[in-house]
Amino acid sequence: MKINPMEQFTVTPIVPLHIGAYDVSFTNQALWMCVVVVAASLFMTIAATSRRLVPTRMQSIAELSYEFVANMIQSAAGDEGMRFFPFVFTLFMFVLFSNFFGLIPGAFTVTSQIAVTLSLAGLVILTVIVTGFARHGIGFLKLFVPKAPFVLLFLLVPIELISFLTRPISLSVRLFANMLAGHTMLKVFAGFVIALGGAGGVLSALSIAPMFLIVAVSALEMLVAFLQAYVFAILTCIYLSEALHLHEHH
Amino acid sequence: MSPEPDDLGALGKRLDEARRREAGKQVQVAPTPMGIAFRFATEMVTALLVGGGLGYGLDWLFGTKPIFIVVMFMLGAAAGIRNVMRAAKELNEQAASGANVPAVKDDED
Repeated sequence: MKINPMEQFTVTPIVPLHIGAYDVSFTNQALWMCVVVVAASLFMTIAATSRRLVPTRMQSIAELSYEFVANMIQSAAGDEGMRFFPFVFTLFMFVLFSNFFGLIPGAFTVTSQIAVTLSLAGLVILTVIVTGFARHGIGFLKLFVPKAPFVLLFLLVPIELISFLTRPISLSVRLFANMLAGHTMLKVFAGFVIALGGAGGVLSALSIAPMFLIVAVSALEMLVAFLQAYVFAILTCIYLSEALHLHEHH
Repeated sequence: MSPEPDDLGALGKRLDEARRREAGKQVQVAPTPMGIAFRFATEMVTALLVGGGLGYGLDWLFGTKPIFIVVMFMLGAAAGIRNVMRAAKELNEQAASGANVPAVKDDED
């Protein structure tokens, strides 16, 4: 029996579709993205319909997530940042739901694809750049000019520029790599269970050990799923805050 | 069985007290040590990659094969260190605001 721990990440077309030279098939990736979006939207809509003073459980979760993101933006970007609440909240919920849906056995983890995370991060950086230029005009470029003696600027400006350009990449790679690593680890341990179980004798009894590990790692993955959604959202807030206030740079 | 006004007042007081007690221990998301290490590693590595990539691109553009890739790679390393320092500072601020520990004064400020 051969188990490939990376097989879970292959994108396979469900409905093959070609437009011209482009492959626009409806894949398992697209399917799970739809599932995530529909689930998140349905959840928020249903939770918000009751609008009771004493909230139901569902409403309570929705209110908690609203307050969580609102506090995050307030503390990272101030009152002005609240204009971006819909954007940050959508990002947070999408990443959170993708991460958690990915933990369901047999599900496809949307955020384990660099194409998805890089698009999200690209969207964030584009928003930051547009906001920065819209607010400060050409003065936004001051972001790349730290306070330093004039001679050093020839060195420092390129460094700041590279540092800025790494943001979308580190933002996306962090999410993608965390998801990839966690899910691969789960599959590898699951492979141990099957391999040991099939070995017979004492080894079969030993297969219980990796089983416990899977349970532990699953719990850890729950934490990672939430934490990565949080990190993605808070970094978005921090970058937006820089574009809004241009401070911070020393 | 509707509560008397007195009961409501008492309830209000108890709620206030509970809120004050809970205010100190707000939901704090502390990154795990592995998370922190991972964050620093990605910041460093991506800066090197971006620097190297930019250098490669510029060399390809101007046909000056080894010059830009060497220079940009080094600048990328510097940018990586800058990123890691910035990330560490953010984490410090987060930890300071979360645990109510007085922030360590940064000589950069």
